Amino acid sequence: MVVFGTTFFNFDSFIGKTDFVEIIGKSVFLYRYHIILPLLNDSGRYSLGDARRPLHETAVLVEDVVHTQLINLLQQAAEVSQLRGARVITPEDLLFLMRKDKKKLRRLLKYMFIRDYKSKIVKGIDEDDLLEDKLSGSNNTNKRQKIAQDFLNSIDQTGELLAMFEDDEVDEVKQERMERAERQTRIMDSAQYAEFCESRQLSFSKKASKFRDWLDCSSMEIKPNVVAMEILAYLAYETVAQLVDLALLVRQDMVTKAGDPFSHAISATFIQYHNSAESTAACGVEAHSDAIQPCHIREAIRRYSHKIGPLSPFTNAYRRSGMAFLAC
Amino acid sequence: MASAPRPERVLRLLAGCLPPYPPPPPTVGLLSMEQQETYLELYLDQCAAQDDLAPPRSPLCNPVVPYGMYILNASNPDTAFNSNPEVKETSGDFSSVDLSFLPDEVTQENKDQPVISSRHETEENSESQSPQSRLPSPSEQDIGLGLNSSSLSNSHSQLHPGDTDSVQPSPEKPNSDSLSLAPITPMTPMTPVSECCGIVPQLQNIVSTVNLACKLDLKKIALHAKNAEYNPKRFAAVIMRIREPRTTALIFSSGKMVCTGAKSEEQSRLAARKYARVVQKLGFPARFLDFKIQNMVGSCDVRFPIRLEGLVLTHQQFSSYEPELFPGLIYRMVKPRIVLLIFVSGKVVLTGAKERSEIYEAFENIYPILKGFKKA
Repeated sequence: MVVFGTTFFNFDSFIGKTDFVEIIGKSVFLYRYHIILPLLNDSGRYSLGDARRPLHETAVLVEDVVHTQLINLLQQAAEVSQLRGARVITPEDLLFLMRKDKKKLRRLLKYMFIRDYKSKIVKGIDEDDLLEDKLSGSNNTNKRQKIAQDFLNSIDQTGELLAMFEDDEVDEVKQERMERAERQTRIMDSAQYAEFCESRQLSFSKKASKFRDWLDCSSMEIKPNVVAMEILAYLAYETVAQLVDLALLVRQDMVTKAGDPFSHAISATFIQYHNSAESTAACGVEAHSDAIQPCHIREAIRRYSHKIGPLSPFTNAYRRSGMAFLAC
Repeated sequence: MASAPRPERVLRLLAGCLPPYPPPPPTVGLLSMEQQETYLELYLDQCAAQDDLAPPRSPLCNPVVPYGMYILNASNPDTAFNSNPEVKETSGDFSSVDLSFLPDEVTQENKDQPVISSRHETEENSESQSPQSRLPSPSEQDIGLGLNSSSLSNSHSQLHPGDTDSVQPSPEKPNSDSLSLAPITPMTPMTPVSECCGIVPQLQNIVSTVNLACKLDLKKIALHAKNAEYNPKRFAAVIMRIREPRTTALIFSSGKMVCTGAKSEEQSRLAARKYARVVQKLGFPARFLDFKIQNMVGSCDVRFPIRLEGLVLTHQQFSSYEPELFPGLIYRMVKPRIVLLIFVSGKVVLTGAKERSEIYEAFENIYPILKGFKKA
């Protein structure tokens, strides 16, 4: 039975799951301007950090959000797949869910193509890989691309989806992320940079079995296949990235600049969050001013979910999905 | 040693043609570099014969010695060349076997002849190679070669008179009978091999194909050949391996064969010939047609960390960097058409080349760019 709109705020079960908090913590760390890296090991000790608390809380919150969104996404995908009468959640189902947002879909497609291309190249380098590929019947080249192309071909009525394959426009969000990373890395020294690179390499796809467990796929009737899991891992990563992008914007907004004509228009809820963050800071936990705080994240989600428009409070769609998906 | 007097004669004969050279700069990784350069020369001879179009700036347009010269190295115990033991082995294996039934490109045959014939027939080798030989240019590359005379044969080092003091520009002209190096044409002075402190990419893997031009019974091959695997349910080819050169071959029933794992063009060719020989010994009328190198993989280390985020931003149209997917940046160079994998540590892997020159050229192109993104 598919349940819409319920959120699973179950903090206790998440504190123990150090792996993903670490991944998310490190991913969130990437986007900050100062490097304070909390290292969580199994016993829960932290190694250093001015911003330990806020960062850990932020990481936990982000993990929670991502988890919720992915579960919802999976359930919707399972629904779509049931409609088709299939027994497995395939990448086509996920692509179908993403059809509305062209930019994000394009980013996903690009990611799939790069994945194909990378396996093609790495195969050519190692002779053992080459043999493996030949033995497995070399129909693996560009399989993700083929899947995507075939599927979009089938659902495309107006031709705009297929036009995306030829589209060479710059992806602004990605561009901005690249520029931000470049700015950050320019000022780092080599030790910091090495750490930074290592954090960037973390992903949900590396620990595939843990990811499956985390998503609790075993309790579902219809399970995703391998390529669908890859896409889900990518979407999880994208969600974290989106959250951080938005949180940074929110944080930027919070700083009132002299001469800003809209400073009087900051919403009341926003100020409330800001104040509560400051009070916890005053309670003795030294909050690093540059760390992303949970309040930023919450505000970002609130703004993202808030559909602006003349009829938004009355549309059924808004009420239906309790939470707007960040990744699609 | 029988070869000793001859190199001296060669030296004297050649000395007249060569100007003195300044001492070479120190090179990094001497032995391996000179190995590379040996192969450079081998490759260059081939190019020279085919009147190649490589730009004069390219480090490859300075062929130095006739191929035959290198054979002398086999007698030198200090040599570190991989090829020489193989050359010896080849000579041992093939000297009694007439390989002329394996038709091949004409230039290749010319090259093979010196391999098979006695090593000591320097002059004959030189003679057969002389149309292809050129005067070595006064480049540092050549000096670098000459400097490592402990590994190179005397005759070779003596081509670079800068490091031996017995060189006098003597007016002796080569005797056209014994050593017809007369057609040597002077080349314009070359820029050094690499402006990048002598880092030369090492070849790691070569994939080549050849057509044995006869239908094969894979079951028979698998039963009678050593080191052969055949599992028709999994894959319709025999997988055979040899230890020297360490390679793997996929042999199909159509007679086509893929050879992988060699570290140089000559090794790949040699290995392919060995496999062909094995098939031939089993009774099939194997030939050696259309040997073609399909892919070459090289790698090297620039020895400084690289800031990949900067590189991906400025070279967006060529690079893709997804650290969560693959730790290296994938750079698609257009000219030459090579794919480079660039890592933060400074390691660079180059792949997709059909010729060695492409790898060198690609590295030359990328090195200044990488220097620009050096992480202090």
